[in-house]
Amino acid sequence: MAELQTLWGSFRMSMLSFFADPQWIIPNIIAPFVFTAVALIFFGNVSGSLALYAVLGGGMMGMWGNTLYGSGFALAFDRWNGTIEYVLATPSRLVWIVAGRSASSAFLGLVNALAILVVAVLGYGTQLGIANPLLFLLALMLTLTSLSALGIVFCSSFLLTRSAQVLTNGLEMPIYVASGSMFPIALLPFWTHPLSLSLGPTWGIDAMRYAADATYAGMGFGYWTDLLMVLFSTIVYLAIGFWLFIIVENKARRDATLEEY
Amino acid sequence: MWLTQLLALPLFQMAFFVYLARFVSPTVTNVTFIAVGNALQVASFSSIFAVCNITSEEKWQGTLIPLIATPANRFPLFLGRASFQILNGIATIAVGFFYANYIFGVDMSRTDFAALTIVILITSLTMTGFGLMLGSVGLFMRTAMIIANIFLFIGLLVCGVNFPVTDLPVWLQPVSYAIPMTYGTLAARAAVNGAGIVELTPVLLQEAGAGVASILAGYVLFVGFELLARRRGTLEEY
Repeated sequence: MAELQTLWGSFRMSMLSFFADPQWIIPNIIAPFVFTAVALIFFGNVSGSLALYAVLGGGMMGMWGNTLYGSGFALAFDRWNGTIEYVLATPSRLVWIVAGRSASSAFLGLVNALAILVVAVLGYGTQLGIANPLLFLLALMLTLTSLSALGIVFCSSFLLTRSAQVLTNGLEMPIYVASGSMFPIALLPFWTHPLSLSLGPTWGIDAMRYAADATYAGMGFGYWTDLLMVLFSTIVYLAIGFWLFIIVENKARRDATLEEY
Repeated sequence: MWLTQLLALPLFQMAFFVYLARFVSPTVTNVTFIAVGNALQVASFSSIFAVCNITSEEKWQGTLIPLIATPANRFPLFLGRASFQILNGIATIAVGFFYANYIFGVDMSRTDFAALTIVILITSLTMTGFGLMLGSVGLFMRTAMIIANIFLFIGLLVCGVNFPVTDLPVWLQPVSYAIPMTYGTLAARAAVNGAGIVELTPVLLQEAGAGVASILAGYVLFVGFELLARRRGTLEEY
């Protein structure tokens, strides 16, 4: 119960901080917006349901961009503001504090995704018919949770480094590529497929495409298998994230490197 | 950490757009166009993002006030702080072209390497000037990171990196030609196709002109925003 209180408190503080200074949403969403715009120009001369890749991919990228930056800067800002030791000195475990912040980033990521969908549909006239809205919503929410869990995993390593910002920038695009956010992963070299398939977002975006387009062939596993894989990967990420935080938190306290930046 | 940025960012950015292009229209010409454009544009991470954030980083580290308090001439101070990023940009572009050639199969058998080297040098120099212009705003704003992020990626859309500038709406094209990168991508593609330095001179002069204009505008903004920030007491705001 105390953990849930921490989670809620952290989520609330994070949301209040965001609304106090909402300009920080721009760095999180600019890349997905630009990438989607470029993709829509590419897809402009192509007929059929290919534009679905651009729009849904852009939405997923918007969620990942926000979650990654949220996790990456969750502790970096504490470092810069000199508050990281106070955060660690509280009796609450750091992972629950980060989980609350990550959840708020994921929630805002959902807003980003919706903004990209709206811009694509209204600005570029992209046709986006959702074949099964309920299944689409389910896949969207689970993908968002999976991205958030992946953010927690990365955030644990951000505690050890002075350069979370560089890592954050470096991790944005690999996920865009490896998850096949805007193109099928079959186009990638074969040796990269295990990496792609180990990512929850890969399965999540496939499930969203199944739900949005009744004729979509996808990776061939079907909607429900995709959804199970998203769920499974989320559980694995959370387990790894919680385990890593125990190790990393102890190491950072022992080595006295918390304030380094 | 720097090596991660140097080696990973060009690879993944190029991979994203090349695979996207292959998915949409699997022709070699398209892929070459995109790979060369992105090989050059990846310099924005150092020449725009890093340069633009210099003032913000000094605010975070508490060193901006002592720096501003020095009697040093602002022009060398302004240029010197960014000079490392020129080298960083050149290295990043070189890595980008290595990936374009060896991983994405761009044919560089006809490339005029002397001309390409000059294009890379001028692009890195002029884009750093452009980054300095944007970074000047960071003296007055609480952070330059917002503007740095916008211009880091907007080049992918407006500088002819992934498709010709002529594909953009007419009203947007003047913006493209105000950014040195636009001329750089044109010149780099021509050099890869075998154009020599003489043929590239007009476009390189245009690029240099855009770069010099950025540096001058940036210097004026730097001095102006410094005065404004001193008067309003906002130098330490972040």
